[in-house]
Amino acid sequence: MNRFALVFRLPIIVWQGLFFLGPLFFMIVMSFFLVKNYRMEEAFELKNWARMLTRGYVWDSYWYTLGMAGSATLVATLVAFPAAYALAFRVSAEVRRWAIFLLIIPFFTSYLVRTFSWYVILAGSGVINAGLGTVGFGPYTMLNTPFGTVVGYLTLTLPLVVILQTVALANIDQNLVQAARNLGCSPPRTLISVVVPLAKTGLIIAALFCFILSFGDFVAPYYLGGSKPPTLPILIIDTTKSGQQWPRAAVVAVMMMLTLFAIAATAIWLAYRRRIAS
Amino acid sequence: MKDPLVVLSGVVKRFGTFTAVHRLDLEIAQGEFIAIMGPSGCGKTTTLRMIAGLETPSEGEVRISGQVMNDVPVHERDTPLVWQSLALFPFLNARENVEFGLRMRGVDTVERRRRAMEWLERLDIGAFAERSVDTLSGGQRQRVALARSLVTEPRILLLDEPLSALDAHLVIRMQGVLTRLQRELGITFVHVTHSQSEALAMADRIVIMSEGRVVQIGRPREIYRTPGNRFVAEFVGRNNILSGISRGDAIETALGTFPAAGLPAPGRPATLVIAADLVEISQAPRDGAIPCSLISEEFVGATVTLFLEAADGTELKVQVPERALGELNQHAGSRYHLSWPADAGHVLTET
Ligand SMILES: Nc1ncnc2c1ncn2[C@@H]1O[C@H](COP(=O)(O)OP(=O)(O)O)[C@@H](O)[C@H]1O
Ligand SMILES: [Mg+2]
Repeated sequence: MNRFALVFRLPIIVWQGLFFLGPLFFMIVMSFFLVKNYRMEEAFELKNWARMLTRGYVWDSYWYTLGMAGSATLVATLVAFPAAYALAFRVSAEVRRWAIFLLIIPFFTSYLVRTFSWYVILAGSGVINAGLGTVGFGPYTMLNTPFGTVVGYLTLTLPLVVILQTVALANIDQNLVQAARNLGCSPPRTLISVVVPLAKTGLIIAALFCFILSFGDFVAPYYLGGSKPPTLPILIIDTTKSGQQWPRAAVVAVMMMLTLFAIAATAIWLAYRRRIAS
Repeated sequence: MKDPLVVLSGVVKRFGTFTAVHRLDLEIAQGEFIAIMGPSGCGKTTTLRMIAGLETPSEGEVRISGQVMNDVPVHERDTPLVWQSLALFPFLNARENVEFGLRMRGVDTVERRRRAMEWLERLDIGAFAERSVDTLSGGQRQRVALARSLVTEPRILLLDEPLSALDAHLVIRMQGVLTRLQRELGITFVHVTHSQSEALAMADRIVIMSEGRVVQIGRPREIYRTPGNRFVAEFVGRNNILSGISRGDAIETALGTFPAAGLPAPGRPATLVIAADLVEISQAPRDGAIPCSLISEEFVGATVTLFLEAADGTELKVQVPERALGELNQHAGSRYHLSWPADAGHVLTET
């Protein structure tokens, strides 16, 4: 690498250092600090880690968050796919451009506002229950349930998943799809044997984004899920509020970071692995 | 002709308002090696895709073994196509690519593997079976594509310019592989190409297309020596084309009057075609020879094409063996005399 290459890369290195590695490093360091009389003191003790990792409620929250984010990822992937497929293969390029533009619009409005609008729809006396009531069903409890949490996660992630899947599918070489048909592959089978493997990278990246956004989301589990049990982001907030326990919150944050690193690494390895077992 | 395997009758293909193929009639026999040749955009690929069912004819009928295929979906046709881009599946290795068609037909794993390996070995690429296809060379990928299409033992193989991306020396080798395979298997090959050397070297019959129409069908020698019209005369081989008026047993052109057979009634327009390799060239003046001056030459190895100009500006071409060049000691502007035997001229009655 020559001198200039380093010069050109310097801005990005500085940026990453300032806004990503720096805070991350500080958070890790902070997880070893102690809190005395509501004040944080610099220290290097394993107490926070020992305390948090031995508490049942931390692990309950951990597995619950993982499960909720995983479910949202699964649902988003399956729900988005037919829509993305239609946009990629069944409509003109013109319609596709408009659809992607429309899918970006939700990101212009506040996620919090969009979440609250679900309140009106999902509430015990909300739109859905009113509708079901007229045909003799319900009312069902949807707010303050895991269902509410997943609905919230999907509000955040579904448009993005549809966009990423559409791009992945639209980039497939149509000759390969036709070649499969030419070799005796029926249309439904082509979908599984050729289209999905070809779009694999994009589909996995879309799912990964969905997981990352859901895993770290505070709004949906708090307002629609009723924070019972709390997800990890809620746990972080609760921990900082109770007795200024920033170091213990940092422990949870580091747990989340490590989990996301592991999942992202696995997903990217799967996404870019050339061959798939047949 | 033996029983036709593929029959296209009155086939038309339109894309919107554009007609890519106009009323095409073609019969392809069982076991025949047919080449469809023509300039880029003349409708060769479209024709091939209609046989494979990848395009639906706007009019007319495609029949295979007597059965009307228009409504038979692609995957039920058994008309494998070797793609111009090869279209190998990047997520499968070489062997799995070859196994694909067998897997779709429900052949079990062991049998599938055996037959795929048999074909890979037959095409000398057994050693690369487990390699990812994008680590293979152009020639090896070509062979994987061929094996993938032939492993299901189809009655017909469609090839869409599969050799166009290969180096010249590999093209010759693959031509050998293809002709040998076709002879051994006895199945029908429909080979689309824009290369006349490919078509002339391999095909039993050549179909020449131009702007969506068939302009001539014939054996390679027929196409080469007796082009049916001006387009074929210009497209195939290296021909001198002289327009003129029939005088019964001779044709009157700007360069003189030449005896020729097969002319229309006296006074009617006609065209005389003389292949460049049949023209005789000398430095010394000869009786009835046309005086010309050399403009340029094209050296392609064993033969050299000389481009000359007659007194009235008509351009004439002569092909001579490279070893005969020494005697001519040519340089730009050199003066020569051209003539040809009376039976070398081929007459076109259309102009
Ligand atoms: N799907 C299509 N839509 C519109 N025009 C097409 C399509 N496929 C082919 N064409 C047109 O039909 C003509 C013939 O194409 P093609 O059969 O691919 O030619 P060739 O293989 O002889 O080069 C071309 O002018 C091409 O642009
Ligand atoms: Mg073509």
